[in-house]
Amino acid sequence: MEKEQIMQQVNAIFIDVLENPDIHIDANTKADDVAEWDSLHHIQLVVAIEKHFKVKFTTREILNWRNVGDLCSSVSAKLSAK
Amino acid sequence: MLFNSFGFLVFFIVVTCLYFLLPNRARWSLLLLASCFFYMFFKWEYIFILLFTIAVDYYAGIKIESAEGVERKRKWLILSLIANIGVLAFFKYYNFLNGNISGLYSLLGYKNPIPYLHIILPIGLSFHTFQAMSYTIEVFRGHQNAERHFGIYALYVMFYPQLAAGPIERPQHMLPQFHERKQFDYDNLIIGLRLMLWGIFKKVVIADRVAMAVDTVYGDVHEYSGGCLLLAAILYAFQIYCDFSGYSDIALGSARVMGFNLMRNFDHPLYSKSVTEFWRKWHISLSTWLYDYLYLPIVIAKRDWNKFAVAFGLMVTFFISGLWHGAAWTFVFWGVLHGLAVTYEFLSKKPRNRLAKVLPNWLYSATCRILTLAFLVITWIFFRTGSMSQSFYIIKTAFNPLAKGYFHLMYRELNDDLTIMGFARWKFFAVMLGVVGFAVADWLIYKKRQFILFQVSQGLRWAGYALLVICIIFMGVFHSNQFIYFQF
Repeated sequence: MEKEQIMQQVNAIFIDVLENPDIHIDANTKADDVAEWDSLHHIQLVVAIEKHFKVKFTTREILNWRNVGDLCSSVSAKLSAK
Repeated sequence: MLFNSFGFLVFFIVVTCLYFLLPNRARWSLLLLASCFFYMFFKWEYIFILLFTIAVDYYAGIKIESAEGVERKRKWLILSLIANIGVLAFFKYYNFLNGNISGLYSLLGYKNPIPYLHIILPIGLSFHTFQAMSYTIEVFRGHQNAERHFGIYALYVMFYPQLAAGPIERPQHMLPQFHERKQFDYDNLIIGLRLMLWGIFKKVVIADRVAMAVDTVYGDVHEYSGGCLLLAAILYAFQIYCDFSGYSDIALGSARVMGFNLMRNFDHPLYSKSVTEFWRKWHISLSTWLYDYLYLPIVIAKRDWNKFAVAFGLMVTFFISGLWHGAAWTFVFWGVLHGLAVTYEFLSKKPRNRLAKVLPNWLYSATCRILTLAFLVITWIFFRTGSMSQSFYIIKTAFNPLAKGYFHLMYRELNDDLTIMGFARWKFFAVMLGVVGFAVADWLIYKKRQFILFQVSQGLRWAGYALLVICIIFMGVFHSNQFIYFQF
């Protein structure tokens, strides 16, 4: 799957989980840039992304994400390893 | 050495002047020596405890970095965590645990054979222990290189502005600053001194003055009316805020003068619209520490539980947070109440958002702020009394306005004068006025996102500084009162 497609699907998950249809994310988006993306909802996003792409991240991967770009790279790497 | 003492003023001036007079290569030694002196002022023998954990963590950091494979790295991390938590557990929790064991023994009709030890808690132990653990965890996670310079690493743990009560810093933020060459900067000097001035004002004029009324009432709760108890509980909220944020301002300011930036620890937490928001604005360095190293690993590991993972993570985190504050069940109960509140807010977000859309914005915001402050005031009663039964008595009496004599301000005779909550009448009203004035000023800073005194013309600004100094000299309390958070 192309990175662009992954980004679009992740965007749709953000909209669904955070219940805000106006969310537009890109590779540089960080938690501070999205009002609803707080520390308590972060893990719900992770779970929704794992379910959607049928992948499982390691703790180290999750802790090392600095922005949406890092997250999508992890998804991409997992999908191509399948 | 307390920040609100004359001794610290002399120490601060001497160290800052020497810092800029010395060549860059010698500055770390000066800061380390000064920090050792600052620490040894409290109880000199305890420097050896600090030396022990510094040596263990320094060595563990290098070993974690150089070890092959995650499992070997993890072994060194666990060694470092055991050393740190072991020291903390012994000095802070030994007698608490032993007291609970004694309770269990007496239930069974036996005497506890484990002796009680007279231990004096080393200053800032909970703070620098957490900061040291942050270093080895970050090296383990690969976010920080191991520090090879022993002196700089020791300084990271011991840097005197933050040694006694934080902010609990991170290695990524502090270690590069100790390696940098610092130039004298007039802006840093002014910003730092302003912060220190405002911090000292909050501590000696507001916190310590208010403490007199709070201590009087809490010292004899059964003698005071419900109204007095409620007022004392509200005043304690301002006392603890001014005390700890005042300390943090002095810490940030004294480091800033030398060109060091410490992390912001407070962001006007008393005006939060939820308990969750409060924890993003109160003691930020501790809440982010707990979030990164405790809450996040728990919820990641248990994420299949979905929302229950968040609730579980929050309850464990706030339980530990309570225990971190003090080795007593009242602190644990305080932490658990906050955990429950944040969990409730997380689970009720949808209906609360719906309510927010129906009600006028000002009404919803004001209601949320009042309810949050009320929750903070009530839970801080447990924090202050150290006794469950006394706390419940205060809550029962303070929130029963229909009781006879509820609104009586308790007058007492002292040296032929009538006093209210320990103050002569005019002083009592002056203190109340001072607290309201401070609350208004703090609200304005919160709204404008800047200290108003910094925006006015130079003449007015200096008049403001002079006024603060006059208030500190003539209205401050200089009994060398310890900062509340020093006991943790």
